[in-house]
Amino acid sequence: MPHDSDDMFEADNATREGRGPVDHPTMLGGCARAATRAEAAFRVQYPNSRMRTSRIFALDAKAAEAMYAITEDPWNNAHFLTLSTKGPTSPETQAADLPLSHPDGTRADLLAEIEGADVVVLLAAASDSEGAAEVIARECFERNITCAGLALARGQKAAEVDRVVNSMRRFARVLVVASDDDYIPAMLTAMRA
Amino acid sequence: MLRKEVNELLTQTDPGTAMGEMFRQYWQPALLARELPEDDCPPVRVKLLGERLIAFRDSKGRYGLMDEFCAHRGVSLWFGRNEEGGLRCPYHGWKYDYTGQCIEVPSEPEESGFCEKIKLKGYPLIKVGDVLWTHMGDADNRPPKPEWEFAKVPAEQTFTSKRWQESNWLQAMEGGIDSSHVSFLHSGSLKTDPLFRGAKGNQYNQNDKKPVFEVVESDGGLSIGARRMAEDDHYYWRITPWVMPSFTMVPPRGDHPMHGHFWVPIDDENCWAWSFDYHPTRALSGEERQAMEDGYGVHNQYEAPGSFRPKQNKDNDYLIDREAQKRGETYSGVWGIAMQDASLQESMGPIVDRTKENLVSTDNGIIMARHRLRKAVIALRDKGVEPPGRVTAHQQVRSAARVLPPDQPFKDAMKDDLKVQPGVKQTSV
Repeated sequence: MPHDSDDMFEADNATREGRGPVDHPTMLGGCARAATRAEAAFRVQYPNSRMRTSRIFALDAKAAEAMYAITEDPWNNAHFLTLSTKGPTSPETQAADLPLSHPDGTRADLLAEIEGADVVVLLAAASDSEGAAEVIARECFERNITCAGLALARGQKAAEVDRVVNSMRRFARVLVVASDDDYIPAMLTAMRA
Repeated sequence: MLRKEVNELLTQTDPGTAMGEMFRQYWQPALLARELPEDDCPPVRVKLLGERLIAFRDSKGRYGLMDEFCAHRGVSLWFGRNEEGGLRCPYHGWKYDYTGQCIEVPSEPEESGFCEKIKLKGYPLIKVGDVLWTHMGDADNRPPKPEWEFAKVPAEQTFTSKRWQESNWLQAMEGGIDSSHVSFLHSGSLKTDPLFRGAKGNQYNQNDKKPVFEVVESDGGLSIGARRMAEDDHYYWRITPWVMPSFTMVPPRGDHPMHGHFWVPIDDENCWAWSFDYHPTRALSGEERQAMEDGYGVHNQYEAPGSFRPKQNKDNDYLIDREAQKRGETYSGVWGIAMQDASLQESMGPIVDRTKENLVSTDNGIIMARHRLRKAVIALRDKGVEPPGRVTAHQQVRSAARVLPPDQPFKDAMKDDLKVQPGVKQTSV
């Protein structure tokens, strides 16, 4: 692609106050003046990341309902999982015994799912999921997997939201309280799930 | 990552754009009051939201903000004569009052009433604190006047500056809510900057470079909490409020003045970074005010007197000093907190391509802010829903920093700290 020579070479020492003389011409693309729309066109277009492995766990029925609304969307390498039993889970539960299901109802194994995961997202709308959150977070911690918590506040009273948040606080590297369920796809899209 | 169409939705603010309409719902800082220091002073060119305007202060002290160009032949009214209650075009003498109404066309018979048919688009310009504010939206839907605390405390307690940033407003604003960069980019300045150094909180920042975040929606926007380890298993919390569309505050340090920003689009590739410092309960000291004038803290030095372009800019590689970087005085080699941010944000390009980003979970403050902006813009565009941040109650926010026991959520324990309390000192560590 042809370049205009005036754009290509910037040897204006006077504009480089305080840095001493510049004894060579500087291409526009070689200095901070490259922060232009025109120079942005020369940014390399090759991919700058590989596909991530994301695991999303809905910890209660309401969270599962919100999650199921998006599982058919085109995700990269995201698995969506739910607890297949109702009611509290003991934090003493062994990872292999945590009753997890895929959206199609087939059983899932926690350790197999999080093996190699880049991020784990815990979705919760009820406060009785603290035990399950602890089991998952414990395994993530041992594997240095970042754990994010998303408390779904739609239609919930403030006190219940607080309880949900408190149930995840100990485990999450980042904790978000979202007033609408469509933050789930917004967040997962932003994180290339 | 943000899809291309959403990136365009949030970054384009010219007239007729959805985000532009959103910004036009609010009072925006337009000029420093000291830019129009006296009646009949020279007019000032202003570009906001992609509109070229002229600001002036007439013989009676009334502020005007209107289309920059004379309706007759398109001459810039920056060359105008500000005299006897109006701004007169020097080309053929057409004269406009502070609302943009033409009040004199010398070539036409006065009795013809011709001048009444000529009116430049005008916007209100009001002084609150050190700032002249404008509302560029529908006059029938004007929000209450600005009530931000920094603009309402006595003059001796507050200081405001502005600088031209050569990037889109959104990438600048996102820096204002990105708490995790402080431990890196500003680590040198935390030790040396007279408006930051000496606070106990700085040690927590330096010792724990992996903060834990909690992002909570507020009525006007967000409260973004960053939690770092303190002594005895307690947590050091720093809470950053964001009020739609572009107001952010930096959590305070020690008894230093509090500071924050507005990020106001000039056009899609430039914005005004407004920076303020204030103390809720005491006058700024002479040393503090001088430090602000000298470009410390969130302020900056200027290229030339009367210019709002920073002295460190992309034409001089921000005067980057690699030796200072090696010595640990600055983390990036760029001097000053404001320009450390601006240099990196401008380096992204005029409008960063967010389709190439790789955000991580700790970027959820930014992700949520974009989400809320997108929803508010679409609700306004499609249903006329009033966006958050317009009403006085949403503006009564403060940033805060505090050490809390591990079982206390900041949202509850710091509830009062995050609200304006007249006459009450900020909560800070």
